Amino acid sequence: MRRVAMIGAGMTDFGELFELGIKDIVPMAVTEAVNSVDKGFDRNDIQAAWFGELVATDGFATGILADSCGLLDIPVSRLENACATGNDAVRHGAMAIASGMYDVVLVVGADKVRETSSRSTFWDWMGMTRDAAWDFPLGLVAPANFALHAARYLHESPVATREHLAMVAVKNHHHGVTNPKAQMRFEITMEQVLNAPMVVEPFGLYDCTPQSDGGAAVILVAEELADRYTDSPVWVRGTGIGLDRVMHQHKRDMTTFPPTVKAAKQAYAMAGIGPGDVDVAEVHDCFTGVELINYEDLGFCDKWGAAKMIENRETYVGGRIPINPSGGLKAKGHPPGATGVAQCFEIWEQLRGQSTNQVDGARLGLAHNVGGPTAVSAITILGIDKD
Amino acid sequence: MIARMISISRIGTALPPWGNEGARTVGDDEDAVTLAVAAGLAALGDTDPSIIGDVVFVSRDFPLLEGGNGAALLAGLGCDDGVRIREIIGGSPAVLDAIAHATDGTLVIGSDAAGSAGASAVLCGRSGATVELAGRVTRSMPVTTRDARGNSSDYADPRLLRERGVNESLARLGDPRPIAAAGLSAREAGSVCDGNTPKLVTTGASAIGFALAALVEQGASGTVLAVEQATLVVARLGEGNVLVTRDEPPARPRPGGQLAPGASVSISLSAYERAFDAKLRLAAAECADCGELSYPPRHRCIECGSEQPTTLVPLPRRGEAYSVATIRVPVPGLISPYTVVIVELGDTGVRTLVRLTGATPGSVAIGDTGRLVFRLVAVRQGVPDYGYGFLPDSAQAEQKGAA
Repeated sequence: MRRVAMIGAGMTDFGELFELGIKDIVPMAVTEAVNSVDKGFDRNDIQAAWFGELVATDGFATGILADSCGLLDIPVSRLENACATGNDAVRHGAMAIASGMYDVVLVVGADKVRETSSRSTFWDWMGMTRDAAWDFPLGLVAPANFALHAARYLHESPVATREHLAMVAVKNHHHGVTNPKAQMRFEITMEQVLNAPMVVEPFGLYDCTPQSDGGAAVILVAEELADRYTDSPVWVRGTGIGLDRVMHQHKRDMTTFPPTVKAAKQAYAMAGIGPGDVDVAEVHDCFTGVELINYEDLGFCDKWGAAKMIENRETYVGGRIPINPSGGLKAKGHPPGATGVAQCFEIWEQLRGQSTNQVDGARLGLAHNVGGPTAVSAITILGIDKD
Repeated sequence: MIARMISISRIGTALPPWGNEGARTVGDDEDAVTLAVAAGLAALGDTDPSIIGDVVFVSRDFPLLEGGNGAALLAGLGCDDGVRIREIIGGSPAVLDAIAHATDGTLVIGSDAAGSAGASAVLCGRSGATVELAGRVTRSMPVTTRDARGNSSDYADPRLLRERGVNESLARLGDPRPIAAAGLSAREAGSVCDGNTPKLVTTGASAIGFALAALVEQGASGTVLAVEQATLVVARLGEGNVLVTRDEPPARPRPGGQLAPGASVSISLSAYERAFDAKLRLAAAECADCGELSYPPRHRCIECGSEQPTTLVPLPRRGEAYSVATIRVPVPGLISPYTVVIVELGDTGVRTLVRLTGATPGSVAIGDTGRLVFRLVAVRQGVPDYGYGFLPDSAQAEQKGAA
């Protein structure tokens, strides 16, 4: 397999971008990525593109990318893999180069959650993740989907409490303050989190990601071309995708996300590293409790060790393993198709020392999604070193 | 008029927990079909449903006038789909008439979902107490009406109804003095009956079953009257052993909740049809090779990968909450708050994801035990979507505390 270099990355602001359509967001993200290339980049060099989008907005997705970005003469494919879409799109781009089929590939992720009413989103998006006859009519909305895991986790954990969930929200809001692209750039207190209106127990309002619009893009090239575009490329060191039983009824142990464990195993093996080598990570914190479970599934601590990690501030920037320096989904926002690609954007900036919330000396970073009916995870490991 | 002799051996009654001791109201996940299932299962007890050869379902509150309620009722009762079922629009007179004309193995169910809600089911056969038709008169005194579109009107003249409706009809039957009257208010029943007539919680199709249940519990026999405006049926209840089982939780106020505006939940009828038997009969697919139970049924065994044809086997209905989530935000088309529960069934290892029922949302915790009961999960594009809800044992305690 050929090595794959990330030579450009960009993202739009995340937020309620009512004034922008998907046909605006996609070219904005792509142009940011093009402009980020150190030695300049001609978009005519792009040989193929992948577009990660969960819910088609304004219709035909690949055509919108080709048309809106001026890329009418290359193959474009759409990819959908629930909330793992972004990192899976990056994986497809990397595979296309590693295989030798293409030398220069564009990967875009975008979604517009706020194209529909904030309430009807529950139903508009639920059809994607629920069995039509068995689960859909129950009203298993997205927060409930994850709350069933968090409730069982809190029940079984000898240490974790709702306060530990709240600590995750406080941390990620704190991290988001310095991120100019973040949707929620304000600090919150433990009291605010714990006293907020309940959404789905045990998640209050501040335990939940906002509904967001946004896009992100990365440019990947083959190793032999990297020098032409930059002197400080970021290397795609490992990728992984894990799956699980689709229905909650069939997940034997709901205190863990087996897809994450499987994806991490693949990605660590491919990168030739272990969890202890990771300097910074962007993990899927659609709900606070999910971030805690991720610490354990990704191997950043032992089972039930997550509560102590957040309590001891080990996952703050400056701590043992900073998690979600961008603010995470919680504060930065979560337009699902864009989320994983935007995580890679943050890691790309971290590894190049350009982040507004820089982790000193970061050489290896990990981006992680878990989603759908908690049945899929995608992981990308990026490094400043080739091997 | 040909009088035929049939006996009744079992009576089951069911009431929703909501309302007060005088009148119950259905919960959001109950209707005439779910109440009929509850009453029918109460009547059956541990008896194999295969003894039922004929089902008569009487109501004026059928969820569907077109589209059918029969298949859901048979599935909820655990009856084979080859069992004859008739839906009769009527009240207690129609029920009493159906009992008097029943054959061995007929289950007659009266169910009321509007107004004061409840259901009763009477199992008819060769043993028990005899029920013999004594008279019938069908007259028109439509003081209250409801048309095909559901529009109702009330002429609001109770004296007219009493004198030219009920009393005139009784006179035409020779002024019988019944020991119980179903379909009248307690006061009106007292005025037409001899002795201490049982006080009934419903006045519709289910009332006569409640009346028979009360009489056999007292060991009483004699004339019973079923009334619906000016239409009457009179029968004689004999002596005999009748087993009465009441699924009647104490009444308490219905929990508050708010329906969020929005479109109704959409449905795929293809998916509905594929899931119907397993979902409404609470039955899992048993693997022909390894015996593993898959729920919902699936093409390939969840354990061994066998793709041999499977057989549907009933699942245990008692279980324990494995995880719980209570949704407090408004969800369009749904009433919030509501609670979803993953229930592990008996010692099968099989889990199912259902709504909490019969209890205040949020009142169930992981590890709580309870049973699955037949409920209306949602109405989707006009189609009642039935399945099961988790009724925690703690709901009984909650009810006792409130009683």
